[in-house]
Amino acid sequence: MLLSDRVTGGAIATLGAAAFFYGSKLPPVPGQQVGPSAFPSLIGALLVLCGVLIVLGVGRHFEEVAEADLASHTAPEYLEPLPAWRSWLALLPPALVMFYALASEKLGFLPTAGIMVLTAALAFGAKPKLAVPLALIAPFVINLIFLKLLRVPLPGGLLPFPW
Amino acid sequence: MNTMIQAFGLVFAPEVMIAIFASAIYGLVVGSLPGLSATMATALLVPITFYLSPIAAIATIITASAMAIFSGDIPGCLLRIPGTPASAAYTDDAYAMTRKGEAETALGICLWFSALGGIAGTLSLMVLAPVLAEFALSFSTYENFWLAMLGLMCATLVARSSPIKAIAAMLLGLLITCIGIDNPGGVPRFTFGSTDLLGGIEVIPALVGVFALAEVMRALTEREPPKIQNRRLGSILKGQWALTKKYPKQQARGNVVGIIIGVLPGAGADMAAWVSYAMSKRFSKTPEKFGTGHPEGLIEAGASNNASLASGWVPALLFGIPGDTITAIAIGVLYMKGLNPGPTLFTEQASSMYAFYIIFILGNIIMIPLGIIMIRLASRIVGAPRSAVMPVIMVFCAVGAFATGGNNLFAVWCVAVFGLIGFVMEKNGYPVAAMVLGVVMGTMVEQSLVTSLIKSDGSILPFFSRPVSSVLAAMTFAALLWPVFVWTVRKLMTQRPAAA
Repeated sequence: MLLSDRVTGGAIATLGAAAFFYGSKLPPVPGQQVGPSAFPSLIGALLVLCGVLIVLGVGRHFEEVAEADLASHTAPEYLEPLPAWRSWLALLPPALVMFYALASEKLGFLPTAGIMVLTAALAFGAKPKLAVPLALIAPFVINLIFLKLLRVPLPGGLLPFPW
Repeated sequence: MNTMIQAFGLVFAPEVMIAIFASAIYGLVVGSLPGLSATMATALLVPITFYLSPIAAIATIITASAMAIFSGDIPGCLLRIPGTPASAAYTDDAYAMTRKGEAETALGICLWFSALGGIAGTLSLMVLAPVLAEFALSFSTYENFWLAMLGLMCATLVARSSPIKAIAAMLLGLLITCIGIDNPGGVPRFTFGSTDLLGGIEVIPALVGVFALAEVMRALTEREPPKIQNRRLGSILKGQWALTKKYPKQQARGNVVGIIIGVLPGAGADMAAWVSYAMSKRFSKTPEKFGTGHPEGLIEAGASNNASLASGWVPALLFGIPGDTITAIAIGVLYMKGLNPGPTLFTEQASSMYAFYIIFILGNIIMIPLGIIMIRLASRIVGAPRSAVMPVIMVFCAVGAFATGGNNLFAVWCVAVFGLIGFVMEKNGYPVAAMVLGVVMGTMVEQSLVTSLIKSDGSILPFFSRPVSSVLAAMTFAALLWPVFVWTVRKLMTQRPAAA
């Protein structure tokens, strides 16, 4: 997930350019000089400027100072890098949240949340002895909190909450 | 006097008391878990506050954040892993004290001086806010614009990263608020034909994504912290009074620095702790002892980060400009509860204001007994397996956003997308706090800019010609140019020895 400054700076400049052009095409309010296009165009232009500066490496010095400062205050064994595949594992939580958005209406809250908890717990290295009971109990408790305390009905789906 | 009695009535309602107590325990537990920050604790609370009365909602945020900032010191002391970024500055000293067998003194300092600092911060809020409110009543859109810009610039200034990247992150936040039809012309902007985007991006799902889901993602890429050994701790508060008398100057300086940094828009508890620790070392008679388990820096920085917490509410309540990331969330809740920030809050809702002060004081007082219990139980709670805590937090992110978004699944998508954005930004040195401040303040910045320009017929002269406005403008540009100045000084400093 670590990208070079050229990539992120380039992306920001592109986004800024897109915002500038899209923003400048917005229809004006009749009879007024400034309308809805002023702000996005301004932000877009500034983003282009920032993106270019980042590509050129301006300000990198400050980051190095801050990183060294933080490293000197943390236990060294905690900072040792983990294998690269772990950084791809980071995509799992947002994927599971998207899964919730797609499946919760059809499957219902309890099964959806159960699948999410089980998958995430195993990814964090939990033994099945911990992950399975957690996946069964945690969704139940969360449902209870939202239904009874906050009075938010969560989707019932295949397995509606029993009371 | 009448409003004061009303305020007590508001605070001592059963619902509010339960909310304070429950959120105190919640804040202590979440803050003590390494990798879960005070901001995350607050962000996850928002969906719950949605269903509480206004005072109870604010009470949960005030109490939980104060507790979480303190209990972030616990894993720092016992494991050398700060529970929250605000504890990072003095983790070395606290851990060194533990290794010398003075764990209870170190934890006692964190607890005692956190509570004292919190109370000092509250007093500053009580004194400063009404005075500034009077002043702020005379502000027009020009001043509001510069004030908001100054807040955004301060946020980029303190980001502990490249200032350019911080500004880019802040601009990205402002751009996000352009989405939707809530703009001067009422035309759909950046909606790409989607009806969900017409209403714009809600602040709360964005916050939950950036502060909570992104943390879960990051935890997956980091190793599990080691377990705390079960150790017998002596009396926690023993000797604290002696330390209070021994280091009065350090404590006072920590409180004052914390208060000032808290009032500065965008700079929060972590910054306060770093600055105070550095300052303590600079003025100490025995700077060589710092980092080896010396209580001095611990006292100053521990007081400072809790003092900043309360004073961070000054700009938040007065102008809707967050003092730090926690008040950025609080502002969202204030709007949600109809307590729109602004100087009139102090005249029209005076009893609510007094109620906030009482809650702050109360929270810092109950911190001491609850904190002692927490320290005693720390070896059990901090040892809770990460593989059980993180999945539950992830589900909470999804359900909480769903519930606050009016049972709308679009909010859940927002959480996922903002989690990704936050994670990628953080990994590449773009401070997410700056983006969040942009998101929180964007609509206000645009409104004050466009209204001002319409009033002046497109001329930018009034932005600089009005007296208060010109001062604020000068401060904003100074904040913008400050990094250039720092860089030049550092350059000269490194060149001079080389030349000589």
